[in-house]
Amino acid sequence: MKRLKPLNRKAELLDNAIEDGKAEEVYTMQTVVGCSTTLDPGWEVDPFGSVAALCQPMEADLYGCSDPCWWPAQVADTLNTYPDWNKGADSAQRDWRQLQSVFPKKGES
Amino acid sequence: MQVTIKAILLSAAALALSSQAVSAKEYILTAHKPDQLVLIDAKARKVERSFTVPDAGPGVLTVTPSRDGRMAYAIANKWESVSGIDLDSGEQVFRANFSSGDIRAKAMFGMDISPDGKELAVFLSPVKLGLGEYEVQDTYIAIFNTADGLDAKPVRTFSAPRRTALLIYSDDGTKLYAGGWDFVVYDPKTGEQTGVHKARNWGMADRTEPDILDVWPQWEQAGVFSTPFFTVRTDKAEDDPAAYAMGMLTLDLKTDEFVMDEYENFAVVIFSTAVNPVRRNEAYGVYTQLSKIDLEKDELVARKNLDHTYYAINVAGDGSELYVGGTMDDIGIYDTDTLEKIGEIRIPNGGDMALASLRMIQR
Repeated sequence: MKRLKPLNRKAELLDNAIEDGKAEEVYTMQTVVGCSTTLDPGWEVDPFGSVAALCQPMEADLYGCSDPCWWPAQVADTLNTYPDWNKGADSAQRDWRQLQSVFPKKGES
Repeated sequence: MQVTIKAILLSAAALALSSQAVSAKEYILTAHKPDQLVLIDAKARKVERSFTVPDAGPGVLTVTPSRDGRMAYAIANKWESVSGIDLDSGEQVFRANFSSGDIRAKAMFGMDISPDGKELAVFLSPVKLGLGEYEVQDTYIAIFNTADGLDAKPVRTFSAPRRTALLIYSDDGTKLYAGGWDFVVYDPKTGEQTGVHKARNWGMADRTEPDILDVWPQWEQAGVFSTPFFTVRTDKAEDDPAAYAMGMLTLDLKTDEFVMDEYENFAVVIFSTAVNPVRRNEAYGVYTQLSKIDLEKDELVARKNLDHTYYAINVAGDGSELYVGGTMDDIGIYDTDTLEKIGEIRIPNGGDMALASLRMIQR
């Protein structure tokens, strides 16, 4: 691999695995895992195609959805990659301003 | 004479038991963020005591009390651990961590304790962590000895269907129901499947497969698991409101009787329900409305709007009042006759209960 340079994390992982003799253990991701890669289309509307039957207010539902990874696209994955996303923000209604966006750090997969 | 002495001893024992029953108070046991279990004197509307679940983040999810009201088992630690808290000493006396090595295993809502308090059943979903991927492993039920302390390992495991949401012991402890698409019946001692109550696979010709969402363990008062279900009647026109039916599924944990009956056209979302232990034909459902359902007549009796959405509901042992919780930081109290609000309990630090169970115990 002397003439090839890894451009993304997966390639870097493969590069390192080759050096460690573990190249065969690096697979293509074949399953949907974790919260952030799971999409739950239809959540944005209620079963009647409207919004009145969604949880009221939405803050009542925020942690009930994020805790079991039910609310995937909109918030961080607290079960796998960002367990401290809502640390110190015990009440969604009171503390929502503390909830921030998250960004992968180098070396995190 | 011997008979008389025996009779006196027996009546004395009965008196002791009944006075114990009289002195026992009823408590609400639930949890809130960041890591607190909370014991609430229901009739006094007062938080009696809080307990910290060690290493709980991001919170406490499912809560399973022992039948004697002395222990509470809580799913915590990114749902990779169950922590057993002694409700007298406040200490963690049991802990099982599900993940180790390259296996990350999570439990969510499927947990129950055997009626004798000796075994804890937990439904687990493991993945194997690879260098660049997760490899999904088979789901299974793990049985723990509750006496195994702070590094408990399963004493038995047996496979169970993916999508199992709830585990429920029968009243006599001889059956373990795994509620998911269907309600699979296991012998908890051997793991052998001994039966199934079909829900999703009911096979009705003029109905679609019923849709059920239920992750709330709140069957302890009546000894009946209940949940709403939704189905579309294919024998009705699409624009006929009667084509969209709501029903109630009940599973009697003493008799094993399993019933799925429709009771109204789909009008409001209901997340969870509980059956009245005294007027056993009455069930109550909660979400943004509070609903009273007659299980014998299969009809909606009453419906009231709530202050906000709640996920969980439970009912007092005397059948007089309802407790609605989960979501935010307040437990609403409602009269079972009128569905009028008669009280409220605030969570101490204002932390959200989110999806924490709302259990009733006597101690």
